[in-house]
Amino acid sequence: MGEGAAIAGLGMTELGRVYGRSPRRLAADAVRRAVTDAGLGLADLDGLVVSHGLGGSPGIELADTMGLRDLRVLTVMNSFGATAGAMVAYAAMSVISGAASAVACVFADAPLRPRQSSGSAYQRDAREWYGFGGMTAALGFRDVNTPYALAARRHMNRYGTTSEQLGAIAVSTRQWAVMNPLAQMREPMTLADHQNSRWVAEPLHLLDCCLVSNGAIAVVVTGADRARDLARPPVHIWGWGQGHPGHSKERGSEFGLTTGAAVSGPTAMKMAGVTAQDVDICQLYDCYTYTVLVSLEDYGFCAKGEGGAFAASGALGPGGALPTNTGGGQLSAYYMWGMTPLSEAVIQARGDGGERQVAKNDVVLVSGNGGILDHHSTLIVSPHRKGA
Amino acid sequence: MRRDGRTDPFFDGAAADRLVIRRCERCDRWYAPDHGGCSGCGDEELSWAEATGEATLVTWAVKHGRPAGDGTAPPPAHLALVELAEGPWLHARLDGVNASALREGLPLRASFVHPDEGESYLLFRPA
Repeated sequence: MGEGAAIAGLGMTELGRVYGRSPRRLAADAVRRAVTDAGLGLADLDGLVVSHGLGGSPGIELADTMGLRDLRVLTVMNSFGATAGAMVAYAAMSVISGAASAVACVFADAPLRPRQSSGSAYQRDAREWYGFGGMTAALGFRDVNTPYALAARRHMNRYGTTSEQLGAIAVSTRQWAVMNPLAQMREPMTLADHQNSRWVAEPLHLLDCCLVSNGAIAVVVTGADRARDLARPPVHIWGWGQGHPGHSKERGSEFGLTTGAAVSGPTAMKMAGVTAQDVDICQLYDCYTYTVLVSLEDYGFCAKGEGGAFAASGALGPGGALPTNTGGGQLSAYYMWGMTPLSEAVIQARGDGGERQVAKNDVVLVSGNGGILDHHSTLIVSPHRKGA
Repeated sequence: MRRDGRTDPFFDGAAADRLVIRRCERCDRWYAPDHGGCSGCGDEELSWAEATGEATLVTWAVKHGRPAGDGTAPPPAHLALVELAEGPWLHARLDGVNASALREGLPLRASFVHPDEGESYLLFRPA
């Protein structure tokens, strides 16, 4: 397995307000589509790695549901939004080591219900609150938006980052989404639209926040030599890394200022034999505009504290120096946790981006961010064999 | 708000206008009332001790309620991370502040509300 590992198949179900299919059914559909995309059959799979979303998602029993037999790798992995990168890394190690030869990695979730707001899908509610944690929730800490707003405000206070700079990320991401038939939000957006959108948790406007989507996405990882003979162009996995900073909740904490990308990025880039200057396309986990901004800094695409100015320079949009979230990301396309950036990375590395395809796609960086900036993963992928 | 059996000393303190949090005596480290154990020595039997109630503002977020049918909006909620003088951070709600006056490092003091129904609870006000 001297040639390493590659993504040979990509399977995506319908994404967004997709009702009537359980997360298990969605996961099975995505795996079937990924296998078919690769030109394989289900019987060719000998590994399955499952990542679940909020709830009701399948575990390892998915293998039984799908009738998969004699698997050599089967597990659930969870580092929240960093899971997709971790799954692909584990799948790559499995095929490189010989533990398995074709491993499907799948994420499925269906948090949306008909006639329910997107925000309520990620909000805690209770008739009565108990204990100190309950008191904190009762006083307003019931959602994910608030802690990210705290992080963004800290970055603003420390570095002078502005809401307009965050808005530049929302706008450039939408510019990409307009060109993506899979995107949920394809109406053009202006900076004024961003500024006029309601506060979700100040300093975050509605248009600083990602969508919520139902659906599933899977990839199939095989050895690179095998992938070359399959149906689609291989997407070679050059490097991977993780970073879990464990920000303490006390004096001296770096919460909001730096992320696990500062560790995850260099680990993956060193393995891949590249530097930030070599990266052609970024697919960054954009649960909020702010996470894009702070990740850009931690990956070294600009200096710490200059993410706002970098974003506002137009670098991230179509025609910019660092095309970023070229499918519209989680902000404007679809929210499949870490599978959102990964799926668009595969599309771009294959040259399947259509109207939005970036011409230079030799090195694509994929990031995942989990929890409240607690977990980070990085993948470096390419249409080319490593070292070729 | 009700007690949960794990953080009751905090609510006993709150009822008496005292901020009672967790502390590892061996390591001389302070923790939030719902913290699991000492990150220094691993002791899971943290004691309860009274903090000064002095704090500074680390960062904040403002939650704006959606306007009602008649156009009236509920007052905004100022939610924050505050750093106690003893070191630990708490997720806290601020009281008696307006957003334009907030800044990193703003001195704050613990303040307690005693509702007719349910447990006393903690807010932070400008010192």
